[in-house]
Amino acid sequence: MTETMTLTTGSSRRRKPFRWSRALGWIALGVAIAASILPFYWMLRTSLSANADLASGSGSLLPVGFNIGAYLRVFGLQSQADAMAQGGSGASIDFWLYMGNSIVFATITTACAVFFSSMAAYAFSRLRWRGRDKVFGLFLATVLVPGIFTALPNFLLVRNLGLLNTMAGLVLPYLFMTPFCIFFMRQFFLNMSREIEEAAMLDGAGPFRVFFRIVLPNAAAPLATLALLTFMGQWNEYFWPLLVGTDDSSRVLTVGLGVFKSQSPQGAPDWSGLMAASLVAALPMLIMFFVFGKRIVNSIGFSGTK
Amino acid sequence: MKSRLAGIAAVAVAALATVGLTSCSGSAGASTSGHVSYWLWDANQLPAYQACASDFHKANPKITVDITQIGWNDYWTKLTNGMAAGTAPDVFTDHLSYYPDFVKTNQLLPLDDLVTKDKIDMGQYNPGLADLWVGKDGKRYGLPKDWDTIALFYNKKMTRAAGISDQQMQNLTWNPADGGTYGKVIAHLTIDKNGKRGDEPGFDKNSVVTYGLGLDGSGAGNGQTEWSFLTGTTGWTATNKNPWGTTFHYGDPRFQQTIAWWAGLAQKGYMPKLATTVGASVADSFGAGKAAVNSNGDWMIGQYKSYKGVDVGIAPTPIGPDGKRSSMFNGLADSIWAGTKNKDDAQKWVAYLASPACQDVVAAHAVVFPAITEATAKAAAAFKAKGVDVSAFTTQVKDKTTFLFPITDNATKVSGIMQPAMDAVVSGQAPASSLTAANNQVNALFH
Repeated sequence: MTETMTLTTGSSRRRKPFRWSRALGWIALGVAIAASILPFYWMLRTSLSANADLASGSGSLLPVGFNIGAYLRVFGLQSQADAMAQGGSGASIDFWLYMGNSIVFATITTACAVFFSSMAAYAFSRLRWRGRDKVFGLFLATVLVPGIFTALPNFLLVRNLGLLNTMAGLVLPYLFMTPFCIFFMRQFFLNMSREIEEAAMLDGAGPFRVFFRIVLPNAAAPLATLALLTFMGQWNEYFWPLLVGTDDSSRVLTVGLGVFKSQSPQGAPDWSGLMAASLVAALPMLIMFFVFGKRIVNSIGFSGTK
Repeated sequence: MKSRLAGIAAVAVAALATVGLTSCSGSAGASTSGHVSYWLWDANQLPAYQACASDFHKANPKITVDITQIGWNDYWTKLTNGMAAGTAPDVFTDHLSYYPDFVKTNQLLPLDDLVTKDKIDMGQYNPGLADLWVGKDGKRYGLPKDWDTIALFYNKKMTRAAGISDQQMQNLTWNPADGGTYGKVIAHLTIDKNGKRGDEPGFDKNSVVTYGLGLDGSGAGNGQTEWSFLTGTTGWTATNKNPWGTTFHYGDPRFQQTIAWWAGLAQKGYMPKLATTVGASVADSFGAGKAAVNSNGDWMIGQYKSYKGVDVGIAPTPIGPDGKRSSMFNGLADSIWAGTKNKDDAQKWVAYLASPACQDVVAAHAVVFPAITEATAKAAAAFKAKGVDVSAFTTQVKDKTTFLFPITDNATKVSGIMQPAMDAVVSGQAPASSLTAANNQVNALFH
């Protein structure tokens, strides 16, 4: 809050007369920033604390009993005895394997879902046939079906296919189209001018050539945005991987981090380990945002002025 | 041109599909020959059972035991899921509130043949533990591995400051009318932000700094760590018989009076409100000095002793109206999944887990009390060597003041009815008499 106060006085000194609306704006901005940063700071602070000290030092803003044991635990670098002495579960966690599984899972599902969805969206926006909009409406309505309803039939299907505990079983339900992706891309395609496509067709390009050579390159920005959103969603996916991927070859990071939750009824979780693991698991997302975030915003701006 | 592009697209799709398929050549969960998969939930016990497994492997070089530890929160969903999927472990740690449902759905292998063949002596276990695992059909579905009772963990610094001696803590009394010395101690240990104690005039129940008694939850239908040690002293039992009762007694005035007294602590400010316990650990709150006394099970000893700067005392549960203490006596066992492809090896492992050889090893690790009577004494000695006096837990068994965990069919459904009903009472939204209606609902499940 002190930061916002100085900012407020600073701005009022430069711009006279003092404007309450501006001050309020800064305060609101400060609160919003604090509200989004503080939880991350608290995770960092807890991850660097010792479990045994956390309860007694629960009000401390700085790490209590500073140590990096939690991070050693996350990367499986701590011996079982040390881990348990520090309040960890002592269960082994193969962090890099789970990380690899997560990357494979999220990448395959994202690539397929975005690719197939954009094809479907293109068809829904360009092809004309009787009842098209009704079918699209029906498709869209499936957004309203909560995932939990399809979990059981999907699970049985995957089981009967003998794909439990395999990466194929894990990615299968996400592989084709999702209504949200189709809706997202269709909206974009509807606003895309048809003239270029028509010109290409006059030159003899078929629908596939038009789609791959003209439509997709022009849709790079929304595709990237969609891919990023999908990837983040898939990265955080928990329930389905928990059901299907139980052994090491198909356990993703979100499920693997379960070892930091409470181990016995009434037991307390390994808080510092849990926070360290969550931070480390969130890092790839943050990096992706830093790397691609600006580019996406730029390209959205670009396509707006075309 | 058109066809070439279509071809490229097709290849791209096929390539993606292959990526999906090649990256998935993982193995299924079912054990291969020579391997026995074993699941447990308590990580604290993992080293002890790993030691058992390696001893077992030395004695049976052809069999390797693969232990998987899965935290309590996910254990049962994963296990049930594994049974449905055909990927459940050969052997797993089983709990009394879950095994009746497994028996009902034919998921457990009866162990009677094993017991006869290996001449396993059921008399070597603490009395009652082995009988818990005999199903309604008369068959045995688990061999006892350990047991637990309830005691009071208290913050010695707080009791000293309140002028309460350890001697007093060891000899608390309780009754549902005025709470006895147990109630007095809880009130006296409660402190508000002005330093006023719960039994002093001017105590502000809305700004409590330290609660006399911690709260884990409403305890649903069995209140194992929350209230069962109180109701057990009133002559009340949860069901008409145990195991396999078919009528519940939540409408009984003795039960409702006890719950009314206990839930009343929250209204008086001596115990946290139920809403504040969601997502919080009762032990962590104790470690943070937010509660002076916690009733909890012996599996939590390690957790309570881990808090830095907190001097923890352990006292037995209070003596109730019947002149005795009382504690629920819960025992875990190892069961074999009926779908195991490795029955012989699984049986060998279960027999080993239930033998003195393994239970003595578990005892030496001082994390739980093994089921075998002699191993229990060894565990108590191991705890003592660690500086923990566990007599508050063992005294209940020695004095035969324990009662068994209520084993019934429909345990999950009973819990589904009793959880919200008890939550409503503990949060002050409904009187204890409302539990009569819940009781009728529960009993309707059996008729």
